Amino acid sequence: MSPLELVDDRFEQVARELRAGKPTAPAQLRERVESLSPPPARWAPPSLRRLAPAVALSVLAASLGVAAVVGVVHSGSKSGSRVEVFRAARSPAPMTESHGEPVPLPLGQALDEKQRALPHAAGRLQQYDASLTLRVRDTDELSRRTQQAMRVTRTLGGYVASASFDIPGRRGTSALVLRVPIDRVQRALAQFSGYGTLLSQRISVRDLQQRADAQSSRITALRRGIAALERRLEGSLPTNERDRLERLLRIEKRRLVAQQKRLRATVRRAELARVALTLVTPRSKATAAPSRLDRTLDDAGSVLARELQILLYALIVAAPLLVLGGLALVAARTQRSRSDRRLLERS
Amino acid sequence: MKARASAEDFAEAARRHLDDVHAFLVYLTGDRAVAEDLTAETFTRALERWHRFDPRRGGPRTWLCQLARSTALDHFRSEERRRRRESRYAVAELRERAEPVFGEGLSPALERALAQLSAAEREVIALRIVLELDGEATARVLGISVSACSTRLSRALQKLEKEVSAGVAA
Repeated sequence: MSPLELVDDRFEQVARELRAGKPTAPAQLRERVESLSPPPARWAPPSLRRLAPAVALSVLAASLGVAAVVGVVHSGSKSGSRVEVFRAARSPAPMTESHGEPVPLPLGQALDEKQRALPHAAGRLQQYDASLTLRVRDTDELSRRTQQAMRVTRTLGGYVASASFDIPGRRGTSALVLRVPIDRVQRALAQFSGYGTLLSQRISVRDLQQRADAQSSRITALRRGIAALERRLEGSLPTNERDRLERLLRIEKRRLVAQQKRLRATVRRAELARVALTLVTPRSKATAAPSRLDRTLDDAGSVLARELQILLYALIVAAPLLVLGGLALVAARTQRSRSDRRLLERS
Repeated sequence: MKARASAEDFAEAARRHLDDVHAFLVYLTGDRAVAEDLTAETFTRALERWHRFDPRRGGPRTWLCQLARSTALDHFRSEERRRRRESRYAVAELRERAEPVFGEGLSPALERALAQLSAAEREVIALRIVLELDGEATARVLGISVSACSTRLSRALQKLEKEVSAGVAA
């Protein structure tokens, strides 16, 4: 459509005259323009329109590059979290602990049934804590061995303090906390050890005899003190003194009761050993060790996710400033446009 | 190779569109001498910025007219500042210009009518009628919408016709 077709017929003649009289550039001006030579090349900052996509592409490429490098590098080291969990369950050397001092035992030694558990010292009060982790063949075995361990504990005169049985899909786990009479804990541990492959073992024996002796001595002293007070109260005393001694007697009796409770608790602690028995099934082969490609993808994915988090955070933080900047830009352009219009209307 | 081709493109664009840019600036300024200076200035700027020209965003004529308008606006701003500084006499002298300047062989009535229009009105007439740019290109040069451009053209032409009629009657 010709521009003139948009013009009303009334203006056709004026338009034709204007076009016919279109001013032409004088020859002098033409020569002046044609003689223009290109300016010497100088560095100029690239325009924002061209710079923005380039920067965005560079950032994207850098992000992907970092993710890829991290993925490849980490996949080779097998230090992924899943692998780490797997190794943590398998690798710790069995430990034993005596009088609060942990002593590592070689795995072969730990598997020797005779040395599997430290025997408690007969005739002495001891706190005996044992922790065993065993791998059983499958989930059926896991269930069977769990029930068996509970049955054995009851048979030995102990009880099950807590039990947790979990088969989440990859690996079944049964965690039992058992209290076993300390003189039978050796038998219990010997039986539990036969349930599967020993993965870890930790035994600690803490001597309670000294504490019990101290508590007994304290009780004896308290009893002597009470007897002395009672003897004094049998005689004639001033009212004030009698009141004071009676108050003291009540306090001492309360102390005696508390001390006796503590001694009973110490003895009870020494009567029952605490055995934490954990049974696990092996991981299925398909999920036991992820392939290098899986680990690469996992690591790269997590890096990308982290980068996206950072980007999102930066956008959220910068968004108000960007919006304000954009509004300011639009306002400035509008103002400039109006200013130009007024300038041209005045000219 | 690409830079040399661009320089050749510029030379061709300058040769083809020099008259258009000059005519546009004549209408915009109403002063042939100023228009010549501004035309030369426009092409100097165009040569410096030729590497930024993107044919996908409009033809070279539209781009050159945008540049010419920007150059003219700079000129008007500096003139306005100068007029503020100078005496009223200088302003009066500037307004006493009577020689017809807009075209070759235009009737005196049309010349006078064009002189009565503002630069804003003359520029839309120059772009749409004289240079025969389409509405979209004109709107791009003026930095307004196509509908606003049509409205502005219609009002400018009505005013022009009114001024021509008044001039003929006188």
